[in-house]
Amino acid sequence: MRALYQQAIDQHRHRVLSFAHYSLRVREDAEDVTQEVFIKLWRHWQKIDHEKLGAWLMRVAHNCVIDHVRKQRPQQTNLDQYAEVEDQVGEESDASQLDQHHFKRQLQSAIKSLEDPFRSIVIMRDIQGMSYEEIQGSLELSASQVKVYLHRARRKLRENCKLRQLFEEQIADNSAAKQPIGLVASNDKGNGHVQ
Amino acid sequence: MSSNGESKCYFIQLQIDGYLDGDLSEAQQGVFMSHVQDCSACASEFRYAQTVQDAVMELPQIECEDFVLEPIHSLTAAERPMKEKGYRDSLFTQVTGLLNSIPLYFRYGFSAALVAVVAVAVSFSVVAPIEEPGQLVASEQVEQYSPEDIALALQELNVAMDYLNQLSKRTEVMIGDRFLVTPLQESINASFQRARTRENDPLQNGPI
Repeated sequence: MRALYQQAIDQHRHRVLSFAHYSLRVREDAEDVTQEVFIKLWRHWQKIDHEKLGAWLMRVAHNCVIDHVRKQRPQQTNLDQYAEVEDQVGEESDASQLDQHHFKRQLQSAIKSLEDPFRSIVIMRDIQGMSYEEIQGSLELSASQVKVYLHRARRKLRENCKLRQLFEEQIADNSAAKQPIGLVASNDKGNGHVQ
Repeated sequence: MSSNGESKCYFIQLQIDGYLDGDLSEAQQGVFMSHVQDCSACASEFRYAQTVQDAVMELPQIECEDFVLEPIHSLTAAERPMKEKGYRDSLFTQVTGLLNSIPLYFRYGFSAALVAVVAVAVSFSVVAPIEEPGQLVASEQVEQYSPEDIALALQELNVAMDYLNQLSKRTEVMIGDRFLVTPLQESINASFQRARTRENDPLQNGPI
């Protein structure tokens, strides 16, 4: 039994840690959640349907993340501020790399700021590449709900002001450097995307 | 752009995710792309969505190092899974199990011996008369005991009774009320009965 348990850990630990990491954005918290998930796996080993082990683990991880967010909420603002300060460090490095770095960091922040289940669905589907069936099992949603929530989550992600601003700055920099043809940001029609 | 064009932009932009996921039919894809090539706003929106989508998909899977799960291994080594070990027994079950593991003759023999010891202790303890010192009948034998002696004896009797009560409770927890409570109570009652009898016969009202 211990061998099977170890096998389950080896198979799923990266996925569980990634999910927790992108949900919480604090490595130590993500590790705590991962430990919690696998302790629960050990304690409930006999009761679990092992054919759906992956979905079970992600469901437990999802619940643990929600619990963690509830517990940590008062401190969260400080962590976000810390992340922003980190963003400002390293202004001297290569401009395009820095832009990409900022963009990805802002993207992670935007993912984290999504409400559940949007956040979990984006992480599971777009980062972890889970199938719709797996997501259904993990979050106990119907197939149509998963699809609708995924599209809504992506739209919410794109509505993130800082993310859009960074993108438009990049486009402006590129067009100033290369004068690209056609696809230039000129959102003067007010399509309702930029707040 | 006319309102017709704006509504078309709106519907095209609703299809961006479908296009990126490959959910659109070929005809829908053709309409989508031809519009995006003609409309700079939709082109910008499409490029933004594509950039965000690509960036999300490029986010790496986080490696879970071995040290992260080390505490789990030590914990699971010490703890067995729930079903395997069974739910935690109640105190009563644990005590019952412990008693059942003791051989039968020892259990009954020990209980009987304990009861006998308690009964003897009680009969030795309840020797002093329980009446108030002022009510004692004047006789030569009674006069040997001063009121202080009797009060002291009563005090000692109370201490003995407290001790026996504690012992009784502890024993009751161990073996229930099968052997102990009734005989002890009977023994104490008998002692009091004897004391009352002696009260009527002053000559028998000795210390023992």
